[in-house]
Amino acid sequence: MNGKGSVTLNAGIEKAWEVLLDPEALKNCIMGCKKLEPVNENKYEAEVSIGIAAVKGKYESTIEIADVQKPNHYKLVVKGEGGPGSVEAAGVVDLVPIDDNKTELNYTYEAEVGGKVAMVGQRMLNGVAKLIIQDFFKKFNKELAKSEQSI
Amino acid sequence: MSKVIGKRVTRVEDARLLTGQGKYIDDVGTPPNTGHVAILRSPYPHAKIVSIDYSEALEIPGVKGVVTGKDVHPLLNPFSVGVSAPVHYYPIAIDKVRFVGEPVAVVVAKNRYIAEDALEKIKVKYENLEPIVDIERALEKGAPILHENVGSNIANHRTFHYGDVEKAFEQADKIIKHRFHFPKYSATPVETYGIVAQYDHSSDSYTVHANFHGPFVLHSIMAGALKIPSNRLRIIIPKDIGGSYGIKAGIFPYIVLCSVVSRLVGCPVKWIEDRQEHLAASSSCTDRVTYIEAAVKNDGKILGLKMKMIDNVGAYIRAPEPACLYRNHANTTGAYDIPNLMIDAYAVMTNKLPTGLIRGYGGQETYFPLERIMQIISDELKLEPAEVIRRNLIKKEQFPYRTASGGVYDSGDYEKAFDLLLKIGKYDEFRKKQAEARKRGKLLGVGLAVIVEPSGSNMGYITIALTPEERKAGLPKSGCSEAATISMDPMGNVNVRISTTPSGQGHETVASQIVSEILGIPHEKINVVAELDTATSAWSIASGSYSSRFASLGSSAVYYAAHKVKNKLIKIAAHFLKAKEEDLTIEKGNIVSKTDPSKSISIKRVVGSAHWNPLSLPEGMEPGIYETAYYTAQAEPPDDQDLINSSVTYGFVADLVTVEIDPETGDIHILDYFTVHDAGKLLNPLIVDGQILGGLVHGLGGAMYEELVYDEKGQFLTGSFMDYLCPTAPEVPNVTIKHIETPSPLTPLGAKGLGEGNTMSAPVVIANAVNDALKPYGVTIDSLPVTPNKVWNILNQSKKQEVSS
Repeated sequence: MNGKGSVTLNAGIEKAWEVLLDPEALKNCIMGCKKLEPVNENKYEAEVSIGIAAVKGKYESTIEIADVQKPNHYKLVVKGEGGPGSVEAAGVVDLVPIDDNKTELNYTYEAEVGGKVAMVGQRMLNGVAKLIIQDFFKKFNKELAKSEQSI
Repeated sequence: MSKVIGKRVTRVEDARLLTGQGKYIDDVGTPPNTGHVAILRSPYPHAKIVSIDYSEALEIPGVKGVVTGKDVHPLLNPFSVGVSAPVHYYPIAIDKVRFVGEPVAVVVAKNRYIAEDALEKIKVKYENLEPIVDIERALEKGAPILHENVGSNIANHRTFHYGDVEKAFEQADKIIKHRFHFPKYSATPVETYGIVAQYDHSSDSYTVHANFHGPFVLHSIMAGALKIPSNRLRIIIPKDIGGSYGIKAGIFPYIVLCSVVSRLVGCPVKWIEDRQEHLAASSSCTDRVTYIEAAVKNDGKILGLKMKMIDNVGAYIRAPEPACLYRNHANTTGAYDIPNLMIDAYAVMTNKLPTGLIRGYGGQETYFPLERIMQIISDELKLEPAEVIRRNLIKKEQFPYRTASGGVYDSGDYEKAFDLLLKIGKYDEFRKKQAEARKRGKLLGVGLAVIVEPSGSNMGYITIALTPEERKAGLPKSGCSEAATISMDPMGNVNVRISTTPSGQGHETVASQIVSEILGIPHEKINVVAELDTATSAWSIASGSYSSRFASLGSSAVYYAAHKVKNKLIKIAAHFLKAKEEDLTIEKGNIVSKTDPSKSISIKRVVGSAHWNPLSLPEGMEPGIYETAYYTAQAEPPDDQDLINSSVTYGFVADLVTVEIDPETGDIHILDYFTVHDAGKLLNPLIVDGQILGGLVHGLGGAMYEELVYDEKGQFLTGSFMDYLCPTAPEVPNVTIKHIETPSPLTPLGAKGLGEGNTMSAPVVIANAVNDALKPYGVTIDSLPVTPNKVWNILNQSKKQEVSS
């Protein structure tokens, strides 16, 4: 499964970058994320509960951030495993400034799922991926607004 | 007593089945303290198991134990299999997983809910290996290898030369060839696998209730795997099995797994497979690539065939595989008189679910390329397909017909059946209709297929996987025995015990018809017991419900057992009546003299004497009425030239299907399905038609809907009925069934097996019809299922070509 897309963030590039790499903000934005803790500088451990088709359950995953070119580009490598199966995904994020308060974010991803979730959820995976991503950016813009207020 | 064999007698089974009183495996009670099993399965197609940590699972209240491959390994032998490749197959992964769904750990808990929850607490570390799923790539050098000790992915390879193939190809006007791919699909009984297994320490023995349906040669394989004498593995099959269509033979690894888990955890265990497990990890047919080459004369006569068959047996070759390659060995040339044949047969292993019996077993894989090439021959020679078929059909005078590969077709009149088919299917009329429709832009097609339906496997056929030299080292194997026991109690009532483990085919009804006719007792009064208990039933290696063997073999055992009882009754009556045995006959519950009507005695009194007054019996006769007959038809082991008559009886099926294709959507609408059968003497035409319809719908699934899909990385994608599509009532087309009856000279009732024929023929006849409809587009359908998607792509590609040219 793969896909790409682009979204406009309501913040300048520096701000957007900062919030994108803030574990607390990310935790709030990822659907079903129960835990997101840094293990070292560019690696996190996460626990995500999510249901796809009839397959609901918890994934324990590691998220690695690689290829960092602050504040324009980075790559996310996600490896998750749990009762419903396994996920291996890689996403590439590129930020392009539009103006002081707007940034364009372009992303591409490739993901492979295994186990039960692949067996019974295959038909919906693309839809689910889009849903999760849309949900992420909706919440992310809220996080950006929140961090603006807190300044 | 009036004749009852051959009548449309309603099924005795239906009263209980339709009122919810069937006794299935899940209705079998469990012993106290039974634990319930849930199985952790591999999400990866090919990986090393680095570690398994189940400590957290054990802490869950209600969990009785967790078992892994490492725990099981010392207690088991790998399953034996009839090939020389040293594949080590255990019912649970030991250090490596080789397909998605392979068992990795087993949890036993107070109930299934707890067991399922505990699965999530088991942490398995895998190290992924490169998977292989493509049949032909698996043969290539440098392909990932599943079994390192085998050294390649080839589980079996044999080449056969019959007649003079090279000469046939030299004499041909034309050589017509094509490559075909047959998909991997399943049988989907409503009832999945179910097992209750109990280990008894004091006797070191296992008692297992399971909906296993044979072949019972697998009993020896299970006992061998458990490292116990075979009489320490008692398997009891319930009265009712909720459908099988072959796939319940594939339960045997789980019987061994549950048995050894019961031993390790120390309690009886019960496992009922769920649907996702069934689709991912029970069994399936093989997917097969066939390269077929036909040497033909310009008039359509086929002089010889070359077939390279590559069967994908999945991650492990397991018994009775590679039988799928060889079950149709004797009838590889189908209904045609083709004396020269070369077969190059491979069984390869890939990271997919291991295969086994499903209805048709090998027939659909064999006839798909054969009957497709017949249509291609007619296209290339510009002849009517019906003409090419007729030119090659075996003639009535040729029976019994010896096939190139050693089959002996017992009886038949193929031309008569084929003519009947063309007549009821209005073949010529449809051709005219089709031509008119084409002018109006409509896509109509007609497909034909004729096949030979083997039944009653000769157990020796599997040994064709070995070379004649390799075979010499072992016991010659052949035969197709079945047993039945008939007893009469002191009140003169009859019990019949059969060992054919029916899964809905109505064996109880047919057995009662046969016994009724021979003993002159109304069939409703006869009690037939279909439970099989390996410790108390009469059975043999070939026993069970597969290969359509009841009509040819099971019924024959019942027939001979009934005659043993009849002979004894007549002997006793002759003694009492002071009459000659040959003068006596059974009439309305009495044994009477044909020459002197005053000499008469009731059967009840005769039987009563055998129980109540044994001293009154003729001298030397044993008391009681309890007779077992073992029956085998003539079935010999393969000879030094690899000639093998792989089945006992051979029926005939001829299909004609008409379709209309929607050029906008690619939707395939089956207008009519005509099928003509010759299964010898029919024992119960009502049951026959039901069996034919069931088999046809299964074949329809293989043709248009069903496929176990794996992506190129070995991930399994069709794990529920949302993705694995089975035909249901609305998809069933108009079906017209007709019969002709040429009795088999080999069975006492003249019957042949049936029920699998259309599973073998439907995939190819539908492909032929679709291909005929798409003839203007110049395409060749060479894989299945033919889905609207596939057809739509064909239609659109040719539209694009029109635009660009």
